[in-house]
Amino acid sequence: MSRVKISEYRAKKILVGDAYKGIQLRSGSGMQIPKGEWVAKVDQGVKKRFKQGLVSVNKPADEMLVAIRSWEERGFSQFLLEPFLVHDASEEQYFALERVREGIRMLHTKDGGVDIEAHPEAVQTYVIKSDADITSIAAQSGLPETFLRTVVDSFNNNFLAFLEINPLVIKDGEVHLLDAAVLVDSAGSFFVHSWGEDDFIKAKAKHAAEERVEALAATTPASLKLSVIDPNGALFFLLSGGGGSIVIADEAELEGAGKRMANYGEYSGGPTREETYLYAKEIISLMQASKSQKKALVIAGGVANFTDVKKTFLGIIDALQESADALRSASVKVFVRRGGPNEAQGLTLMQAFLEKEQLLGSVHGSDAVITTAVEEAIAYINV
Amino acid sequence: MTTLERIRNGETGILVIGNHPGIVQSILDFDHLAGKPASIVCIIASTRKAQKFFFGPKEILIPCYRSVADVPQKDTSRVKWMLNMQSGRRVYESTVVFFQRFPEALGGHLFAENIPEIHATELVKTHGQKYVIAGPSGVGLLVPGHMKLGAIGGIGAAQLVQGKLTTPGNIAVVSTSGGMTNELITAVAGAGKRVSFSLCIGGDRFPVTSLSDVLLMAQNDANTEGIVYFGELGGVDEYEIVELLKQGKLTKPILCYIAGVIDEAFDEHMQFGHAKALVAHLGESAREKREALASAGAIAPETFPQFLAAMRGLPESPRGDTVSDINVYMQRASSILSTRHIVDLDAVPEFVKNGALVPQEQNGFAAATLKALIGRDVSDVTAAFVENIFELLMDHGGHVSGAVNTMITARAGKDMVSSLAAGLLTIGPRFGGAVNEAARAWYEGAASKVSAKEFVENKTKEGKLLAGIGHRKYRVGIPDPRVAALAEFTKLLSAHPHYDFARAIEGVTTGKNGNLILNVDGVMAAVLLDILAEKEEMDTAALRELVDTEFFNALFIIPRSVGFIAHFMEQKKNDEGLFRLPDELLFERDEDRDAE
Repeated sequence: MSRVKISEYRAKKILVGDAYKGIQLRSGSGMQIPKGEWVAKVDQGVKKRFKQGLVSVNKPADEMLVAIRSWEERGFSQFLLEPFLVHDASEEQYFALERVREGIRMLHTKDGGVDIEAHPEAVQTYVIKSDADITSIAAQSGLPETFLRTVVDSFNNNFLAFLEINPLVIKDGEVHLLDAAVLVDSAGSFFVHSWGEDDFIKAKAKHAAEERVEALAATTPASLKLSVIDPNGALFFLLSGGGGSIVIADEAELEGAGKRMANYGEYSGGPTREETYLYAKEIISLMQASKSQKKALVIAGGVANFTDVKKTFLGIIDALQESADALRSASVKVFVRRGGPNEAQGLTLMQAFLEKEQLLGSVHGSDAVITTAVEEAIAYINV
Repeated sequence: MTTLERIRNGETGILVIGNHPGIVQSILDFDHLAGKPASIVCIIASTRKAQKFFFGPKEILIPCYRSVADVPQKDTSRVKWMLNMQSGRRVYESTVVFFQRFPEALGGHLFAENIPEIHATELVKTHGQKYVIAGPSGVGLLVPGHMKLGAIGGIGAAQLVQGKLTTPGNIAVVSTSGGMTNELITAVAGAGKRVSFSLCIGGDRFPVTSLSDVLLMAQNDANTEGIVYFGELGGVDEYEIVELLKQGKLTKPILCYIAGVIDEAFDEHMQFGHAKALVAHLGESAREKREALASAGAIAPETFPQFLAAMRGLPESPRGDTVSDINVYMQRASSILSTRHIVDLDAVPEFVKNGALVPQEQNGFAAATLKALIGRDVSDVTAAFVENIFELLMDHGGHVSGAVNTMITARAGKDMVSSLAAGLLTIGPRFGGAVNEAARAWYEGAASKVSAKEFVENKTKEGKLLAGIGHRKYRVGIPDPRVAALAEFTKLLSAHPHYDFARAIEGVTTGKNGNLILNVDGVMAAVLLDILAEKEEMDTAALRELVDTEFFNALFIIPRSVGFIAHFMEQKKNDEGLFRLPDELLFERDEDRDAE
């Protein structure tokens, strides 16, 4: 998790401060529309809200509440109420900042605004390498210098990674941010108070196993990741290493078994036996829940630098042991390829365990190619 | 000279920040297997002064310091590399501090994942041009046979041998992924080739040393004849390779594998393990990047097994593998205590030869004692001063607390060791134990820039007593003859900052009360610090270590033990029976009367 989208409400609070008059509405907490002219919209990181009918502009309060009800029925729960600003389409501009290697890349167009994707050629690109560049870039782009300086300061001080304002309206010298999308650098969370986990947008409803792995990962310096792809898949992955896990999944795709993958994920960074046990248990539960006729578990990874093969394999064995009978009667086979510290001990333990429980597909070490286990697993589910 | 050449020339001293003993041990194992001296110079860790590791079958102590500012002069010239294993939130600050202290260093490795992007881009800007910095994230930099900076290549001795890490070769291994770096190192060895160097760029978005930087290192390295590269979907780094190839800046054969065609199996692009591994823009998919590389002239097979097979086609490596017996690494067991030889048992002191006494050195016992305590021979002046102290402090009559306790214990029928212990246990802040505290005060005072007046005021504010100052009997006008005698030693020195500082303190305190003069404890500590600094050439760190290890209290305890034993023997000889405090010498407070 590196760049994370936060709510538009929080983004604007950060950028505009107390002058921002938007109101956050959440389902289940008595929604009211105050007097005045308002725009209501869904605030859950959805793109093209206008087209999807997720914006209600300057309507009577009861009509707006009806609109919000209808959004709730479509599964949304976070909304934003903002003062309605009368403006002309010709006043709309597009403005975006993204952190890049050289500093901050700024994209800007004086016109086009909302239809930016239809006119990419109109976009001007600038790179702000240091604060000293701001004056000249403000002059070239025609943006007010104080605005640009404030927004860049805010971008840096709040550990933002990406910011898009579309449209940006400059009216009588005043800058208005009509729609804003912000990605924060989650690694900066220790250093900021302006945003927190509460402001993160959850992209989609997660599988319960994914949520449990995320919660587990938050408690350890090791890396634990899980994505459920097809709950009724045949090919289950218990992979290690960010790069090695992709190589193994690639092989499944190249062999034509990409669509039979039940999950993707990886553990790395030296998890303990207990952490590996808890992680493995999630994948084994997924495997038991799958309705696929044939099932194979691939325990594979590269030659680890410092993750202890014996320790992590003991954790996996602990988890397999708990469900060994059920797995055997579902004729699950386990295919292994792994190298690294204490490789020989780890592989020997795994081989002995799988033989004893009649779950053995194959066990390979670092002298075999990294893709060996997945190839054999695919052959098994294809029989 | 290129950085790689300087490494091969032995500029490999590593300063470690943070704690990861398994990785540090693997670096020492690598050094030992390669027949090199230990490359780890020191560790920055707050809780201890040294940490024990193996170097081959034997144990060694690696010094630990609280901060890079505390690394002593003798170690600084060896430090060429930083291995920073702190958490992501602390890496930026400690890295900046390291390069301020060691501007001549060659580079480092940042182990942590999740370093804030703005910290990484700042390091790119301020340090990326001058230094080779592997990371953020990843496993570091390896130059087989010469240097292992990080977990790269594995941490088990068996892995170091399997990857042929001690044999310099001709194939550069470059990868964003830490795990795959090692997989490729192992695969290169498996294909019969040897690695010239390997740098893991790390999976974070903004590596300090970029992919292009590393490829140009490989291009400019005379030892490198081919490059193996592992990349992933997401980001546009691979187009840097395409550019270098097109511009003719990269002419050595480069074999690439770009992982991530699996992403095509999903309806939406997926975030894979590394922060960068997400297709966000056009051209970032594994397939597009592989095809661009292939059309620019890189060898870019479609599948991993094909990629491994293509490795055999790279230039042949010279092979000079040495056979290593790793059993010595596998069978090591840590000791549970460590110390040094205090007295050389083989050197038998010779006092009588041919039926006659052999003339001895002056102050021989004091010199031998000092040698045992500080581990080296000392000058005549130092030995004479300590001899003077020993004679002066041997006894101070039967009235003092320690002597009284010794005598009372002896009369209770206890043995010599118990009685001596009773006396020794009395030594503390109010009796005899002030020497070390005085030494600490003079050491800190002379080292700091505060004036004597401020120093006294600070101590008073903290409600602390000034050790080494004050006497019951002697005062201004009635000087303590022992202090005067010890002070004579300063005439043998060219400078005596500690003594001067102590006298300046006395100038302030006697202004308040004539009894607050420099006492024997105080003058001993001050003059001995000056003698050790000048005659034994001890620097401030060495003096500080003596203070921290309570050396100065030993100068009271050793001679006074003699005095206590003498009082004990006297009691045993007279055998007066159990001591009881006479009634008139014990005031019993009447509780009832007090209550009225």
